[in-house]
Amino acid sequence: MHDYLLPFGPQHPALIEPVHIKLRVDGETIVGSELVLGYNHKGIEKSFESRWWAKGVYLSQRICGICGAYHTSCYCQGIESLMGIEIPDRAKYIRVLISELERIHSHMLALGIVAWEIGLDTLFHYIFRDRELVMDLQELLTGNRVHFAMNVIGGTRRDVNLEQTRKIEGSLEKLEERFRYYMDIFKNDASVRNRIKHVGHLSKKKAKELNPVGPNIRASGIDFDVRETGYLAYKDLKFKAVTGEGGDVLERCLVRWRECSESVRMIHEALLTLPKSEIALNVPPVIKIKEGLETVSRVEAPRGELIYYMKSGGDKPYRVKIRTPTYQTFHILDEIIRGYGIPDVPTILASIDPCFSCTDRMTVVDVNTRKEKIVTKHDILHMKEDREG
Amino acid sequence: MFEMLFQALVFPGFLAAFVIGFLYLGIMRKVAAHMQHRIGPPIWQPFLDFFKLLSKENIQTKDSVGFLLTLCPIISFASVLTVIIFVPVAGFGMVSFQGSVFVVIYFLVMSSAFLALAGFATGNPFGSVGSIREITQLVSYEFPFVVSLITIGYLTGFEIIPYFSLHFPFAFLAFLTGVLGKLSLPPFHIPEAEQEIVAGPLTEYSGPRLAMFELARAIGFWVLISIGAVFFLGAGNIVMFAVNSLALLFVLIIFRVVFARLRISNAFRLYWFIIGPLAVIDLVRALVGFY
Repeated sequence: MHDYLLPFGPQHPALIEPVHIKLRVDGETIVGSELVLGYNHKGIEKSFESRWWAKGVYLSQRICGICGAYHTSCYCQGIESLMGIEIPDRAKYIRVLISELERIHSHMLALGIVAWEIGLDTLFHYIFRDRELVMDLQELLTGNRVHFAMNVIGGTRRDVNLEQTRKIEGSLEKLEERFRYYMDIFKNDASVRNRIKHVGHLSKKKAKELNPVGPNIRASGIDFDVRETGYLAYKDLKFKAVTGEGGDVLERCLVRWRECSESVRMIHEALLTLPKSEIALNVPPVIKIKEGLETVSRVEAPRGELIYYMKSGGDKPYRVKIRTPTYQTFHILDEIIRGYGIPDVPTILASIDPCFSCTDRMTVVDVNTRKEKIVTKHDILHMKEDREG
Repeated sequence: MFEMLFQALVFPGFLAAFVIGFLYLGIMRKVAAHMQHRIGPPIWQPFLDFFKLLSKENIQTKDSVGFLLTLCPIISFASVLTVIIFVPVAGFGMVSFQGSVFVVIYFLVMSSAFLALAGFATGNPFGSVGSIREITQLVSYEFPFVVSLITIGYLTGFEIIPYFSLHFPFAFLAFLTGVLGKLSLPPFHIPEAEQEIVAGPLTEYSGPRLAMFELARAIGFWVLISIGAVFFLGAGNIVMFAVNSLALLFVLIIFRVVFARLRISNAFRLYWFIIGPLAVIDLVRALVGFY
């Protein structure tokens, strides 16, 4: 039997965002895959260059709907290092608090989708019901369920009071219990395990070679977590990276559940040891940074390492380059899909927790000649020069 | 004559199959929703969907085979509806003769086979994969399903009459899993796995043709649950029939809620190497009279 082409996306029920995976299928077995990006490019990197530093915070918030707090946190961290200021301790703790809450809700979303992809709607609905506990906490702390806009240059926008602390502690206790329950289901339920164990395997050697980030590499047994560098308040919170073994879909899921538990522990710890100080420095609305200064800022987003490269152009950035975690994780997709069946494709794709809209790059297609062209940094710089004359 | 027409067109024939079949679907969706901490659609939602589909246009893709697109839903629907003639629902038997079990088996296979053919006729890759799965699944569940019907049929003279058969637990299990497979219910919703192959054979279907398939599915619910209630749980009168049917529906809902989807290879192995041999045990017991 010869193989045929099965299009997976850009419109497909298993996909939340448009991406196109061309699957070469022989019967029910995948013999090859090709990823086609470019369906939701937003041109955000370019828009940074025409905004003041402070306005960029709003823009970076909107790169991702799920991990927006990490983008602002990373962006602000970069600017703060360019300005040479250090934010107050309390602001560091609050940033960690919001980050970890967001990590829990992001992981629960990803795991709920894994449950849905294997055709178990009940587990999906249960996980999403419990995810509401975190969403409520986020609303309580920041006023918004998503897009918190909590980080500002020089600190955070809101403080945490005692009443909120008590509510958080209560909800987290409930969540902790639910995490144990779900971990048990993922590990021991026969019909779930049947679909996710020994699927989408990524060996330690291959993981080192292809170098994904976040839970995807940690599940293969490699200890790589930016939080271990101890940025913000992670040093004081005695953070320990969670790693797994085996690197199949099940292990990636379990690493995420364990990370949720670790986040809960850190939130408890952070609330207990919250230092008393200001929550934000007084930073002028129009920031001027010496031209040509550059910095790299890293944070650990739920999906892995998030990097901002920034170069100053005075009161605006000259260039902001964002490397989102999914961009780095896509390289493993072909490796972990090949050899498995059509039923495993959605599960594997969900297990790497992709976020296409953060990642997308622009491809220009000439409709008449059908030629594709990737827009490079060089072209973008030229565009800038053309515009400025 | 008039009685016959009434039975064919109203109860237990077309009208009852239409109303109760969709009602079963609606109840299933509502109860499953409540089990999943959702509110769920109103139980008359399948009717609304059906009439909405009837009012839409038929869209035909370039690669499809036109006459098959129209023919398959009609035959699929007609063959599954014909089965009800041979099932004495709540004591209303229309046609009954020795060997009607085989006719029932035949018509039920017809319905699934034409669904698979419909998928191939659309010329869509998802439709093709769905059809291959539909046929693989048909080949898998048919063996235990047929064995279970023959087991009970052997004792009733291959005629569908009320018979209480829970002393053949494996035959009942084989029948139940066969029903799950035939109706593509979890964990056997493999041919129309939404996350993998969109809607399987029905991917390119729209409008009245899709409505016809929906109707065939609803009537499949009514027919198979009725066979279970009468042939396996021995419903002789209307009260018993209602109780048994709802109990069976509830069991199907439980299956739907607690299981993840199997892979097609898992399903094949499960049917042939676990449920099939178990069903054969009961068949042998029936043949040698050990029960």
